[in-house]
Amino acid sequence: MLVMPAIDIMDGKCVRLIQGKFSDSKVYSNDSVLVAKKFEKEGAVLLHVVDLDGARLGYPANEEIIFAIAKAISIPLQIGGGLRTYEQAKKYLGNGIEKIIFSTVAVENPDLLSRLLKDFGSERILVSVDVKDGKVATRGWLENNICTVSEVIDLLKNAGVTNVIVTDISKDGLLKGPNFELAKQFISAGFRTIAAGGVSSLENLKELNKLGCFGAITGKAIYEGKIDLQTAQQMAAYKNNLAKRIIPCLDVKNGRVVKGTHFKDIRDAGDPVELGKRHSELGADELVFLDIAATLENRKTLMCLVSKIAKEINIPFTVGGGISTIEDIKNLLNAGADRVSIGSAAVKSPDLIKNAAEYFGSQCIVISVDAKKKGQDWKIYIKGGTEETDVDAIEFSQQMEKLGAGELLVNSLDRDGTKKGFDLELLKTIADSVNIPVIASSGAGSMQDFLEIFQKTGVDAALGASIFHYGEINISKLKNFYPITI
Amino acid sequence: MIAIIDYKAGNIASLQNALERLGKSVVIISKPEEILSADGVIFPGQGRAGAAMLELRKTGIDKIIPQITEPFLGICLGMQLLGGTSEEDETKCLEIFQGVCRRFPPILKTPHLGWNTVELTQKSPLTANIQDGSYFYFVHSYYVDGQEVQIMGKTSYGFDFASIMQKDNFFAVQFHPEKSGEQGLRLLNNFCELC
Repeated sequence: MLVMPAIDIMDGKCVRLIQGKFSDSKVYSNDSVLVAKKFEKEGAVLLHVVDLDGARLGYPANEEIIFAIAKAISIPLQIGGGLRTYEQAKKYLGNGIEKIIFSTVAVENPDLLSRLLKDFGSERILVSVDVKDGKVATRGWLENNICTVSEVIDLLKNAGVTNVIVTDISKDGLLKGPNFELAKQFISAGFRTIAAGGVSSLENLKELNKLGCFGAITGKAIYEGKIDLQTAQQMAAYKNNLAKRIIPCLDVKNGRVVKGTHFKDIRDAGDPVELGKRHSELGADELVFLDIAATLENRKTLMCLVSKIAKEINIPFTVGGGISTIEDIKNLLNAGADRVSIGSAAVKSPDLIKNAAEYFGSQCIVISVDAKKKGQDWKIYIKGGTEETDVDAIEFSQQMEKLGAGELLVNSLDRDGTKKGFDLELLKTIADSVNIPVIASSGAGSMQDFLEIFQKTGVDAALGASIFHYGEINISKLKNFYPITI
Repeated sequence: MIAIIDYKAGNIASLQNALERLGKSVVIISKPEEILSADGVIFPGQGRAGAAMLELRKTGIDKIIPQITEPFLGICLGMQLLGGTSEEDETKCLEIFQGVCRRFPPILKTPHLGWNTVELTQKSPLTANIQDGSYFYFVHSYYVDGQEVQIMGKTSYGFDFASIMQKDNFFAVQFHPEKSGEQGLRLLNNFCELC
C-alpha cells in the first residue's frame, strides 16, 4: 500500500481543514513547494495535492504553485480541486501531472468522465467519493443529486472508473481513524481504493493495508507528528517474498517421457520416475506430469506411475492429461497428485471446473490453456493442440477464473518446442487479465528466457521440458540466475 | 504411532509419503475413538471450510479434537479450522486458536500459491532447527488473523500473516511441510520427535 502525504493549498499556503469546512483551517506552511520537497526527501513515492480554493471556486486557482511543485520534485503528483472540464484536465495531464482527481460533485455528467477515461486511461483519472452520513453527492448524475454508496459504486463501475479515493467527511481532520467499512465496500467492488479522511496512526495504516487498500492519504497526522512518513512507508510497503517458480514438465507417453515439437514428432527423453526425482533434487519448485496419450487403456498404468513419482518427490506435483470427470480427479489425488491440470474438458464442459473447484478447492484445479494466434487474437486448441476451436483464449482464461480455477498453465502453440523464448505478448495479456497465478509454458530455450518472462510479464511460474531433461539448463543454476522475487 | 485424520477433505497421500520417507509409521484414521489413542495427530486439509466442518461434525471428530493432549498438527485448511470462525462459508470452527480466518483482499492474486519465506517470530519446538527466513510451499486463499501470542511464524504476502501458530500441544502451519522439500521434512520430523 502506498502512503500518500497530502498538501492542501489555500491562498497559496499549505493548510489542513477540519471536516472539510473552509472556516476551520490551520496553516502549516506558507511555502507549499518546500513542503513537497520535504516529503520527497523523506521518501514519499507520490504526493496528493488539493487546490482548496479551486474546489471552492469551481475552477483551478493555484495552478502556478501546482506546476511549481511538479517542477521541483521528481515523484508523481495527483491533483484535485476545481477540475470541471476536459480542457483543465488536459492542461494538468499534459504538463507533468501524473494523475488528476475529479470529485463526484464536480463531474457534471458521466459522459465527460467516460471521455477522460478513454483518452487518458483509467490509471490517470481518479474519482474522489466524499461520503457524508452514508450519502454521496453526485451533481448531474441522478435526478436528486444524492445517492447511496452502493448506487455510486454502480455508477462508477458503469463509467469505467477503476481508481477511487474514498473519504468519510465526518472523519476528516479529526485524527480518530478512517471509515474502514467504506473502504472495504469499494475494495470488494473491485476498485483500486485509496482511503482518506481521519487516517491518523500506524495502526490505521496497518488495518487499511490488510483490507487491501491501494493507498492511504494522510495529512494532519503527518504535520502534527502523529505519523512518521518513513516508518509508515516501511510498514505499509507491499512486502511480498513469494518466489517465482521453475517447473519441469514430464510429457509422458506409454510410460516414457517424450519430447515433441508443436505437439508432434515425438522422441524419447527418459524414465519419468528417475527424471522426476532428479528434478526435485536439483531444486525444482514443482513437477508437472502430462499424460499426452491419455487413452482409456493406459489409465491404470498411469495411476501406478503417478503414485511411484509422488513417493519419490517432496515438492508439489501436478498431473494432467485426459481428465474429464470428478472421479478422474479423485483417483489422481489419491494416487499422490496435489493438483490436476485440465485442458479439453474445461473447454467442452466448463461446469466440470465449477464442480471440481467446489469439491476439491480452487488450489487443486489448474487449467491448461492451449492458445494459438489467429489474426489479432488467440484461439483455444483442444485434444493436445490438434483441434482448433472458436474460443477466445483471453475470454476463456477469465471465464475459468470465475468458475474457480486456481491457476492457468498457458501453452503457446506458436512457440512450443521452438526454443525461441516464451510468447511474451500472449503471456502478458493473459496475466494482466486475470487475478490468479499463471504458469508460462512453451518456447523456453535459455536461462535468459526465464529471466525475461519474469521481468516483462506478471506470470508467477515458468515451465520447461526437454531443456531440463537433457540437462541443457541446470535447474539449480537457473534458480540462482534470476532474483527469487521479481 | 502418528495418526493422520482422514475426514475426506484433502490429499493424504503426499503427507503419508513424506512421513514414510522420514521412516515414521503412520496410521490413517477416520473414527473419533481412534484419535485419542495416537501418540500424535496430524490434521491435514484442503478444500472448503464449510464442507470440512460439516464432515467433522457428522463424524463427531469436532468434539474429540479439543480433548487431545498429545501433540497435534494442523496443516493448511487444518490450521484454519483450528481458529474461531472462518469467513469462508461463514463457518464456526474448532476454537483452539483465537482469531478469524479471512480471505486475502482482491488486490492480491489469490490463491497465494508458491514458495514464500517464514519469519520465525517466537521460539517453538516445531521450528527448533529451522533457519529463520526459510522457504515453504503455500497454496491457500484464506489466512488466520490470529492473536500475536499464539503466532510463532509470519509470512509476507501484501502484509504479514500468521504462517505458524502454537497453543500448548496444538501446532498449526499454513504451508504444506509435506511439499516443502528439506525444510518441510525437517519440520515434520520435529513434530514427530515430540510425539
